[in-house]
Amino acid sequence: MTKISCRQICFIMLIYTAVSKFIIYPTYLSYYTGRDLLFSALINFAVQGVIVWSVSYLCSRTDKTFFGLLKDTFGNIFARIIFGLFALFFLLATINPLFEQKLYVHDIFYDTVPSLMIFLPVFFFLVYASAKPFLNIGRCADICLPLFLLSMLLILVMSLHEVKFDNFLPVFTQPKKIFSSSLASVFRFIEPAYLLMFMGRFRYKKGDAAKITISYIGGAVFVLVVLAAFYGIYGDVAPTRHFAISKISLFFPAIDLVGRIDLLALYVLEITMLFALVLNIQLAIECIAQCTGYENRAVLSVAVNAVFFLILIFCDNKYNAISTLFSKWMWIVFLIFANLIPLASWFLRKKNEED
Amino acid sequence: MKKIKKYVPVLYWAIVVALLGLYFTNDFGLVDIHKTSFIVAVGVDTEEDEVQVTAQIAVPQPSTSGDSINYIEVQGSGFTIADALNEINAKTGTYPQLLFCQLILIGDSCKDKELFQVLGCFYRRNYSELTALVAMCEGKASDMLAKPASIAPENSEGLQKVLSHELEKSGNVTKANLKTIAEANFSESKACYMPYIQMNKPGTSQNGGGDRIGGDDVEQSQSTASGSGQSNGGQGGASAQSGGGQDEPVEFTARKTAIFSEGKFAGILDETQSFALNMLETSVDMAIIPCTVGETEYTIGLKGISGKADFKVEKGVPKLTVTFKANAQVQGAKKVLEPHSVVNDDVVKKEVLDGAEKELKTRFENLIEISRKTGCDMLGIRKQLHKYYYKYYDAFKDDVLNRMEISYKIEVISTN
Amino acid sequence: MVTLEKNIKGVKSVLTSEDIIVFEFASLSGKKFASIYADGVADKQLLGELVAKPLKDVKEDDTLEDIKKRLASPEVKDGDKIADAIKEISDGNAVLFVDGEKDFFIIGLKKPPGRTVAEPPTQVAVKGPREGFTEDIKTNLGLVRKRLKSDKLQIKTLRAGKQSDTAVALIFIDGICPDGLAERVQKEIEQKSVDIVPDSSYISQFISKKPKSLFRHNGSCEKPDIFCAKISEGRVGILVDGSPIALTVPYMLIEDFQAVEDYYQVSYRSTILRILRLVSLMVGIFLPAFYVSAQLFKIQLIPYRLLLKISSSVSGLALSPSVEMFLTLFLLEVLIEASIRMPKYVGLAMSVVGALVLGDTAVQAGIISTPAIIIIAFSAISLFTTPDLVETSTTLRWLFLIIGGSLGTFGIVMFTAFLICYLVSEQSYGVPLLAPFAPIIKGDLYDSIVKSNMYALNKRPEAFKAKNKVRIKER
Repeated sequence: MTKISCRQICFIMLIYTAVSKFIIYPTYLSYYTGRDLLFSALINFAVQGVIVWSVSYLCSRTDKTFFGLLKDTFGNIFARIIFGLFALFFLLATINPLFEQKLYVHDIFYDTVPSLMIFLPVFFFLVYASAKPFLNIGRCADICLPLFLLSMLLILVMSLHEVKFDNFLPVFTQPKKIFSSSLASVFRFIEPAYLLMFMGRFRYKKGDAAKITISYIGGAVFVLVVLAAFYGIYGDVAPTRHFAISKISLFFPAIDLVGRIDLLALYVLEITMLFALVLNIQLAIECIAQCTGYENRAVLSVAVNAVFFLILIFCDNKYNAISTLFSKWMWIVFLIFANLIPLASWFLRKKNEED
Repeated sequence: MKKIKKYVPVLYWAIVVALLGLYFTNDFGLVDIHKTSFIVAVGVDTEEDEVQVTAQIAVPQPSTSGDSINYIEVQGSGFTIADALNEINAKTGTYPQLLFCQLILIGDSCKDKELFQVLGCFYRRNYSELTALVAMCEGKASDMLAKPASIAPENSEGLQKVLSHELEKSGNVTKANLKTIAEANFSESKACYMPYIQMNKPGTSQNGGGDRIGGDDVEQSQSTASGSGQSNGGQGGASAQSGGGQDEPVEFTARKTAIFSEGKFAGILDETQSFALNMLETSVDMAIIPCTVGETEYTIGLKGISGKADFKVEKGVPKLTVTFKANAQVQGAKKVLEPHSVVNDDVVKKEVLDGAEKELKTRFENLIEISRKTGCDMLGIRKQLHKYYYKYYDAFKDDVLNRMEISYKIEVISTN
Repeated sequence: MVTLEKNIKGVKSVLTSEDIIVFEFASLSGKKFASIYADGVADKQLLGELVAKPLKDVKEDDTLEDIKKRLASPEVKDGDKIADAIKEISDGNAVLFVDGEKDFFIIGLKKPPGRTVAEPPTQVAVKGPREGFTEDIKTNLGLVRKRLKSDKLQIKTLRAGKQSDTAVALIFIDGICPDGLAERVQKEIEQKSVDIVPDSSYISQFISKKPKSLFRHNGSCEKPDIFCAKISEGRVGILVDGSPIALTVPYMLIEDFQAVEDYYQVSYRSTILRILRLVSLMVGIFLPAFYVSAQLFKIQLIPYRLLLKISSSVSGLALSPSVEMFLTLFLLEVLIEASIRMPKYVGLAMSVVGALVLGDTAVQAGIISTPAIIIIAFSAISLFTTPDLVETSTTLRWLFLIIGGSLGTFGIVMFTAFLICYLVSEQSYGVPLLAPFAPIIKGDLYDSIVKSNMYALNKRPEAFKAKNKVRIKER
């Protein structure tokens, strides 16, 4: 079994946590909670942060994988069933980001909205990258970190001068909406499920749980800063602006002279977004492999991506319906797989019989 | 697996061939650089139910040195701006790109329309950047766009120059772009403003330095509209204006400000009111005001300016404090100076400073008076009430402008 | 008794070529000798001085041992099989037969024609040593030995090529080079059977696990100082007879951004230069692709005033932006290829035709635009800041151009992600190609894009897993 390092898990927690929430999430939150969007996001991050800490701390108590834990507690068949369900969960968790990516790509890469055809070659990449072994996930994160930091630095430097912090006042005017939108956003927070899959695949050293949790908080800070910049710049107009990350640096004065250099940063950031998408699919494939015992990742990758390909073809222009489906109905699925199961994993048998 | 691997090179070659096919055909219905026209400025006029859009388009001319651009004005009309742009598309055979449009000019005729009925189209995705400057103009926007400016006769750059950031820093012009207008209009204040552009013949001055039109200038500006400029080929026409000889170059000024309340035109602030608004709303580095002390007229330069309209609710009473601080320097005086008196010219006399403070106070009073009169909350009082005194919002929101107590803290000190 | 004629006949029956010379002579006492050598490869003068002249005093009853003692050549080996004699003659040495004896002597007289040690054209250094490898493996080994006088220096000689029987030397430092690495390389070379090995690039493909890869899996250099420095970090060096290009494994991509001068000058300057090389490489690969895709798909990428200039330049063109760029790049490649192949005498004419006729006239005629020429010229110059990567980078430039022109900027981004994904999984003898960035190896980052001072580089690169990790130690 290939191992990745704790450092790479930290990078995954930092980068992929952030980039997966830069596209529609800020617009969605500003639409539903308005100026209280930061509180809504904070609730989600706080809950997830605790679960991330809990799962990473669990790693200090056992060197087994999650599959191993399930197998030792409930037996092989049950473990396989759970992993089958997790495979479905990761597939489900990929649908919304995939559609967001499609819309985002059409917006920032093309002046005029092109046909769906132009996005479809992404599946060549997804098939190839998803078929790569587990080791690749970590190494890609290593490469993504400097790309992410550089691009974020440029985007934030270009945007922060335009932020008006009084756009967030008055606070807590509609507390109910804060909680309801937090619940509706649950489907965007699946990091504890990632950690479950990384369990036993890295050599735990003292303090790693803290490192992983701090990295997750780091990712959360990036998201909160982008949310703050987005709403701080656009205020009440924010709900009309889609693809927040691409809209916050527009008002940088030097753009008139040097052109849209922020686009270059966005393009670099897009690389990390693609890898974040790949991570979901890779984990889905990993789960299918564990569930079925079929190890040929290339075939699994082709099969899984073929499903996404068909979904994208048949549900093109139906993003609103998909988004509504996930925010209104699917949150419970995400609550179970990304929150309850990771917490419940503490009750699994952590020591071997002979221990 | 080996069988699959055998076909991988075939797949690679198939991809390369497909990409080459796409590369040489570019068959995605793309709008490439050859098929795109760059709209640098847009003028919007309305006529009954129709919208007339005049687009000033940069038409690159073949040149090996790459510095030959012609600017033409093309008009289109329709029920919406998008409709009108579509007509422009049909006329030019190119796809009009609004992404580089840096000026949206609204004609006098739009005063009767909802502001966002006119501007709404520009907020849509893929249309224009929210950094585009927005201004209202005297007369028809199409006429003004067609007029060559004496400083930049070939295109709308002359218009953009009078709205420049530099002028904004001197308090001579109000800052307004698509974003600030939307922000202000959709805030609790529901009020926004934009520069009001007028054109003059070279060598003449528009309304001098001290006219105060107040709320009656709506009619006045409408009457001047009828006599302004020449029609540019009429509706649906296209005419090349670059270097054209039929129009005399004109000068533009944007020292007045058009104000809007609840999305509707509310009036025009004159230069002094606009100046007062700029002092409180934008960051001004250097400004000039006239003041009269006794028989002598002075021109005072103000530096280190900080001005704000601070709203508070104290003991249930809404209060507005207009605070203004600046360092003053005499820049000119309408009198014969004795050579020995110039030595201490940097030290501004107290009576001159008092005169400047008085002048500023009058300007601020006028601005607030107009705000009350028109109900246009351009200082964002309701917004401040909502943000900082939310519990009083429902109680005060309807009449806060008239109900608030106003105090002035104006301090002008000598530079030396 | 074996007669001299029989031995000569035995050799000549195999080596029938006319350049195989038989030199028969006798001592004053009448003892007959025959020396056989390949004309042009063996040193005839030395044969006379070190062999024929000392043997004039040989007596009739002297044994082979007596004769060997008289030979003045420092390199004398005994032989007894005709097959060995044939091999040595082919290799450039001379074989000395003695009348009445079956055994013979192999005299090391190899002196193949070759150039002298000179500064290599591909790795010119303003500061630092100017010696470069030549085509002669012995000279090259001498250049290495001159710099590495360590008793731990190990040289393993192999033969490759069925027909060429080319000498290949594996060089490594015992105690630094990881165990088993040299054996793995040796195995890779020995497993391959090929007719001839004219250059080290053949060996380069033999030792690569993925010979079809766009990215090479071994380093190369033409200078002994670089070669020795690389060996002393724990790599295995490979010298191939007939090639001035030495190879090293394992290899990391970052090596190609490290120029020899980086180690001879102030580290700050080296860091700036490395960043410059990286940026230049990116510009060289991506600029034409972004230029085309910006014109076709995302005009906003170009600043407005520049856009007007470009738009004005391309507005009269008959070709689409993609075809125009394809043509311009094609023109550049043709010019580069022709300027390498064309005789020097027509070089000047070539410059005039290329630069003036094709470039200027094409712009005047409205076939290609000035910005396209600027973009391609800048791209071409930029790529040569990392000369070792030129083969890969020029290919990538084509690929990115085609993808950028067909799928737009998203295609470029996607293909970049694809390359990253590919490169992170690539290894050269257990060392990740993208090390020290993926996986991050903290210690090795001090000599990556950033070049720290010598004291910070007190450890050998961790990526190579050298046996002795310490490079600098206080005495």
